[in-house]
Amino acid sequence: MMKKSRLIAVLLLLCLLFPLGAQGQAESGQQKEIELRWASIWVGNDSKAPAVEALVEEFNTKNAGKIKVVIEPQPDYNAYEQKVRTSLAAGQAPADIFTIKFNPTTATFYQSNLLMDFQGKLDDAWKGTFDAGSLEQSTVDGMLKSLPMETAILPIWYNMDAMKSVGVNAMPATEQQMFSAFDKLKAAGIAPTSQMTGDTNAWTSMIWFSHFAVSLGGPNVWDKPFTDPAFVEAANLIKRMIQEYSTADAVGLGAGGSGGHFLAGRTAVFSNGPWYAGRADLAATPFFDSIKIGGLPAVGEYEDIMISRLQANICAASSKDADKEQAIVDFLKFLTSPSSIAKIAETSGAMFAIKTDYRPVNNLQKQFYDANEAASTTAFDLEAALGAEVTLEFAQQLGALALDRISAEEFCALVDRKIER
Amino acid sequence: MQAVGTRNRWIWSARILFLLPVSLLFFFFFIYPFFFTVFTSFTSWRGIGSMKFNGVKNYAKLIADPTFQKALGNNIVWALSQGLIQVPLACLVAMILVRKPFGWRGLRTIYYLPNVISTVALAMVWVAIYNVDGPLNAILADLFGMEKHNWLGNPDTALFAVIFQTVIYIGYFMIVLLASAMNIPRSLYEAAEIDGASTLVQEINITLPMLRGTLITTMTLAMAYGMRHFEATFLMTGGGPAYATTTMGIDLYLKMDALRYSEASTSGVFLIIMGTLVITLLRKLFGSSDPMSEMAQ
Amino acid sequence: MKKPLASIIGNTLKWILLISLLSLALLPLLWLLVSSLRTNLELQTDPFGWPQKFQWVNYANALAMASLPRLLLNSVVVAVVTVVLNSLVTSMGSFILAREHFKGRDILYTILTAGVLVPVISFMVPYFSMITRSGLYNTLLALILVYTAVNIPVSIFLVTAFMKSIPKELEEAAIMDGCGFFKRFSMIILPLSRSGIVTAATFCFIYSWNEFVMAMLLTSSIESRTIQLGIKFFSSQFITDYSSMYAAVIITIIPSILGYVFLHDKIIGGLTTGGVKG
Repeated sequence: MMKKSRLIAVLLLLCLLFPLGAQGQAESGQQKEIELRWASIWVGNDSKAPAVEALVEEFNTKNAGKIKVVIEPQPDYNAYEQKVRTSLAAGQAPADIFTIKFNPTTATFYQSNLLMDFQGKLDDAWKGTFDAGSLEQSTVDGMLKSLPMETAILPIWYNMDAMKSVGVNAMPATEQQMFSAFDKLKAAGIAPTSQMTGDTNAWTSMIWFSHFAVSLGGPNVWDKPFTDPAFVEAANLIKRMIQEYSTADAVGLGAGGSGGHFLAGRTAVFSNGPWYAGRADLAATPFFDSIKIGGLPAVGEYEDIMISRLQANICAASSKDADKEQAIVDFLKFLTSPSSIAKIAETSGAMFAIKTDYRPVNNLQKQFYDANEAASTTAFDLEAALGAEVTLEFAQQLGALALDRISAEEFCALVDRKIER
Repeated sequence: MQAVGTRNRWIWSARILFLLPVSLLFFFFFIYPFFFTVFTSFTSWRGIGSMKFNGVKNYAKLIADPTFQKALGNNIVWALSQGLIQVPLACLVAMILVRKPFGWRGLRTIYYLPNVISTVALAMVWVAIYNVDGPLNAILADLFGMEKHNWLGNPDTALFAVIFQTVIYIGYFMIVLLASAMNIPRSLYEAAEIDGASTLVQEINITLPMLRGTLITTMTLAMAYGMRHFEATFLMTGGGPAYATTTMGIDLYLKMDALRYSEASTSGVFLIIMGTLVITLLRKLFGSSDPMSEMAQ
Repeated sequence: MKKPLASIIGNTLKWILLISLLSLALLPLLWLLVSSLRTNLELQTDPFGWPQKFQWVNYANALAMASLPRLLLNSVVVAVVTVVLNSLVTSMGSFILAREHFKGRDILYTILTAGVLVPVISFMVPYFSMITRSGLYNTLLALILVYTAVNIPVSIFLVTAFMKSIPKELEEAAIMDGCGFFKRFSMIILPLSRSGIVTAATFCFIYSWNEFVMAMLLTSSIESRTIQLGIKFFSSQFITDYSSMYAAVIITIIPSILGYVFLHDKIIGGLTTGGVKG
């Protein structure tokens, strides 16, 4: 019995001593080399991972003994976002370098002193490499606390094999052609479009709605109150899409299910960003080579507007150490240089806010670049323009709208209440 | 007198020594964060910069919020279904297994298996099962000629559907009840056997009363889990459609997602306080499971 | 002999229940196994199909996961140390809460067990700031402490309930024999409530093995990450390689099943045969 209590005492003591031992190893090697920690989401099976890792290696070799960039791999995007906001709320930068998806919600981070303001660091030469519009979108109250890096357009995808099977040989150019093509698909037993109201953003339907809204209300439609006739009309259109031109499971369906229908050929028209073009499962479909992408035919007076978003903006931790801040700037200049970006684009097919001469060879990815250039104007999607809360309300009430539990006017009024002014 | 004093002091030091480790950990990981959460619930704070005192505005806003009201209702359904359906079912299974039917060891292990499988994978299975063209509708159509139904997409059935899937986790409470049932002395049953009591009578007269304490514990635990339920529903429906499956846990998570930290804290505090009241009420209702009082009977 | 009909009906109902629960419990696992052998396209387009060709490559992908042995080792260390630490502190605490009488005991018990209601995600900010300020960020100890603490309420709940159910007479007899405080704990209460402690330990083990959100929050490098983070490397921002991920899930389920069988069948199994005789 004495043995047992002594054992317990020893264990307790161990519990108390353990932290001290572990603490010691955290900070030891104090050298002159500046270490930059990058909480990177471009790791694992992400298509940008190999190129990004190679670039970091290249930079580290060039700056051996001076700067060393260490990638802290961040799998699972949701958990990563949670880590970023938790860390900032606890008064610490998540790492020296990290990325955010820029929208009105994440723009709140700009109020933090933990983030470096690039405004003073961005010399004209560096500034010139960025897309001016993206830079402007990333500027809040004169502060530039994140640099736009990855962008995306969110066009409409057509499975032309399915379209041709019902006698439609080209992407519809007008609203009338679109509905006539959808009616033909429907008559042939193919659900025309992949719609969904599930997850927290009703992703594919949110893209459709954004196309409708900007066509009806123009590229600045997001500045209007949500009760504007343009939104009511767009709500009626998206309701019609879900009720008449989609699969029976559209209400409550998640992004996985919505994509699954398109991959299986059960739906003929889809919507998503360039990352979807690089998927191995998409490449394995029999209709991969016949996919065409483009904008949605105008349903209102505004034409040729492409829906886009800032997919990843780079942030850096502010530091009292000028050398460290300079090291960060050096690395980011290297990372966002046109030659680096071209390398990342080459292997991933992603789109960037940094101008390069790179043109994809892959047919589908090339169409994304072409569609981007063909658009007369771009406008944000709903989530990028109005943030997480509004999008959540949109997704939740979209289900009620599609089930006729609320009218389009009520729908718009509910979403409007979530917009901060 | 002197001897009693030292003895008392000695007993108290022993008690404190035994309570200290658990209390310290609990203090750092529950009490301190709880007060931090309470504090932030009285401020307007979006996770950045300083906190501004806000009075009880967050609480007023929370109570008036239709989403929260919906979530609260859903949580009550969750808690009741877990405590009053899940646990009794688990108890029934435990009572069968304790009599060691054929293959009971294997069954005990297998029933527990779903608890070790990742929720992400299970959510994907259930979403597919409940799909309009999924196997559930196919079976119902074959058996009863029922029309296809969008189980998770209809606000009237979505909550039922996400709650029903918890039946596969029955092994969780079953192993607690089984472990407790196995501690019941065999002699009680042997005596009943001699008296000619049937199995059913034995279960009602011996097993259930002997399991009473554990039943109350598991029911309380099940209800608490129901109150803070989050992950499986979030993965299956995201809380929709039209907030039909939103729980307080989901509401809280989404508030943090939108950087509404102080409002998330308010939800958290509300959930903890309400839950504590329910637990205390339950203990008052069912009486204490203290053996000292039970044995006295 | 007596009422054979009722007994036949009873038996049939019993087996219907047992077998339907058996299939409910086994089907997800079978689905996971089958899905881990399909392509992603097959899985996305028809969730319940049979693989056209067994995709063993998914398992190759899972096994080729960077630093798999290290991640597994970390998971084992975290889970085992957590279980030992948690069982130790909670059985000591529960002993006082269940078998000693003093003022404030019920309040302390209520406070400790109210912890089961806490949605731990709402405590992420204080956890993160405590762990980073104490210099424990990115250490296994951070995970061990958090997991041990998070499981305290459930363990206290279960273990106290078990300790309370031990008949008072047994302890009184021991006191008559001259057993002191420590002896009552180690010789009487601890052995008699071992099945409760092991049940709580099982829950604690499964939690520590499967936990992901805190692990992601509190670590940043391979040296202190667990296998659950490894699995997530199949899920990037836009693309999730479900079939390889499921292969990885299957691989990581094996140790947790072994852990469960060891904790439950071996320890409890050995206990009940020589267990209490009223």
